[in-house]
Amino acid sequence: MKKVFCRLLPALFLAALPAVVHAGSSVDWTSILRVQQDSGGAQSDRLVPLTQFVGVDVDQLGDGNLSAHLYGWLTLDLGEGRDRISQEEDRVDGSLTYGYLQYRFNHANARARGGRFFVTEGIINEQVDGVSARTDLPYGFGVSAFGGATVPTVSIPGAGTDGKGNGIFGGRVNYRKGGLLEVGLSGIYESSAPAPDAVPVGVLAGSFGSHRLLGGDIWLSPHRMVQISGHTSYNTETEKIAEHSYLLQVTPRKDLLLSANYDERNDRDYFYSSILFSNMIKNLGQESRVLGASATYTVSNNAEITADYKRYSRDIGDADRFGGDLRGNYLDNSLRTGLSYHYLRSGPDFAIPPVASASGSFHEIRGYAMHQTKTYFASLDVIEYLFKEPVQNRDSAWEALGSLGYYLAPDFALSGDLSYGQNPQYDEEVKGLIRLTYNANLGKGATK
Amino acid sequence: MRLSNQILTLLTLAGLFALSACAQMKALPNLPATHPEALAAGPVSCSECHEDQQQGTMKAFAAFDHSQIFIKNHRLFAASDDSLCASCHKVSFCADCHTQKADIKPATKNGHRPDRMMPHRGDFLTLHKIEGKLDPASCYRCHGRANNEQCVACHR
Repeated sequence: MKKVFCRLLPALFLAALPAVVHAGSSVDWTSILRVQQDSGGAQSDRLVPLTQFVGVDVDQLGDGNLSAHLYGWLTLDLGEGRDRISQEEDRVDGSLTYGYLQYRFNHANARARGGRFFVTEGIINEQVDGVSARTDLPYGFGVSAFGGATVPTVSIPGAGTDGKGNGIFGGRVNYRKGGLLEVGLSGIYESSAPAPDAVPVGVLAGSFGSHRLLGGDIWLSPHRMVQISGHTSYNTETEKIAEHSYLLQVTPRKDLLLSANYDERNDRDYFYSSILFSNMIKNLGQESRVLGASATYTVSNNAEITADYKRYSRDIGDADRFGGDLRGNYLDNSLRTGLSYHYLRSGPDFAIPPVASASGSFHEIRGYAMHQTKTYFASLDVIEYLFKEPVQNRDSAWEALGSLGYYLAPDFALSGDLSYGQNPQYDEEVKGLIRLTYNANLGKGATK
Repeated sequence: MRLSNQILTLLTLAGLFALSACAQMKALPNLPATHPEALAAGPVSCSECHEDQQQGTMKAFAAFDHSQIFIKNHRLFAASDDSLCASCHKVSFCADCHTQKADIKPATKNGHRPDRMMPHRGDFLTLHKIEGKLDPASCYRCHGRANNEQCVACHR
């Protein structure tokens, strides 16, 4: 199956090449050759994978409303190979992220899609092989629906399945009152989850099952300075709330943005349809709550400063993260800089490994600068973690990454990255990368 | 009134509503397929040009200003306004991070763009052992049912 796919994907890419000359098309082509040398750790690896990303959007087909969209990647491992889950894995890998036809109607933001695509509607976030449609309706209503087959992923070793049912459908209805309110109801129903060959070690009885959720979402702006957005999802299989996730934004002045967020999950109900994550509940506990706040002040047209705080509450203990960052944009946005500091204060239960003498606390410091002109671009990014207690006998981990690129043509760039770091995994980690990018937009208007 | 009559009345009303709705569909405008003017590099604040503008059932443009808060929580907006996102962003922009199966972490693929908020910078191989226990839902949002090979290699 994999061999067929790996032959089919390049054929699809080749078939898409005529799009390059189509007037209403855009092409994203990125070739990346990486060389990575890790040494001094439990294992020393030298990896040389060549990865090809291709994205093609062809607009204005047929009567002008039809478009085709394709994105995927292929990797060829030129080195000694890497750890694979299965010995049957060869050195070629690839994935079709999306590939669909879309018809965009002339009114009501109505559209229909067919093929492989992502659905993001309310609480729905799925990759589907199938069809979907959405439209606005009069009086502020809207409706969307999708159906098809799930996209298979890697089978969990021992379980013999990826944990997904075969078929999936769902949809969302919403109501909007312009500038004030949007409420939505959404749901998803996947056919019954396959039974694993053997229950993976650690899975609690009743912690894994079919993917079926209902949910509601809201956006409310009672005043132009205030926005509330978020959603709640309900697992119809476990008959319990899976997640609350809400965000409050207040803009008392044009240069000041305040926010608060509240996230609460019942992990068994939230992770229920993931055979991989349901396996972790035994060690993670059940309840998870995050309360956060931040303030961003725009110091001038060129700089903004943010302070943020988060409180994590879990069955195994509590933790706090606080810090801030400073971002700058200069020389007509061609020079961008950033400097940030955060401290995570957490107990030994979060440590590596979770023993009484250890600590999960660490400082994170990061600084970067990048300069982008019409001829070249360059950047330097340095990040360091200082552990409160040593992790695998190391007090810190750090990485410095430098990048330099040159525009061979306005849409065509050659760049290279080089990074060096030391961390608990490896005494030295050296990574190099050569990147060839072609981003052409031959259509009307502007897209990013 | 008998139950069957009540159902018939409701169905008639629903049918009339559907007919009325269909007749009015052509009056509902489309968002532009692409942004009509060139966009500045880096994060954009919609309200810089569309200040205090709000049309029909749309949200105010200021709601989509690309502040750090917006970027960190863009999932809440993409889940209801992906048609508006598509006016400025190609789908491949989303695929820089959102791919169910990935061979390169986004921060590596876009190592030349340190200004973009890409997850997993630096030594995340070590850090994920702490972050994963702290907020596993933050992992689940991207890796939940993807069974990424890098995850499955250890988390079996």
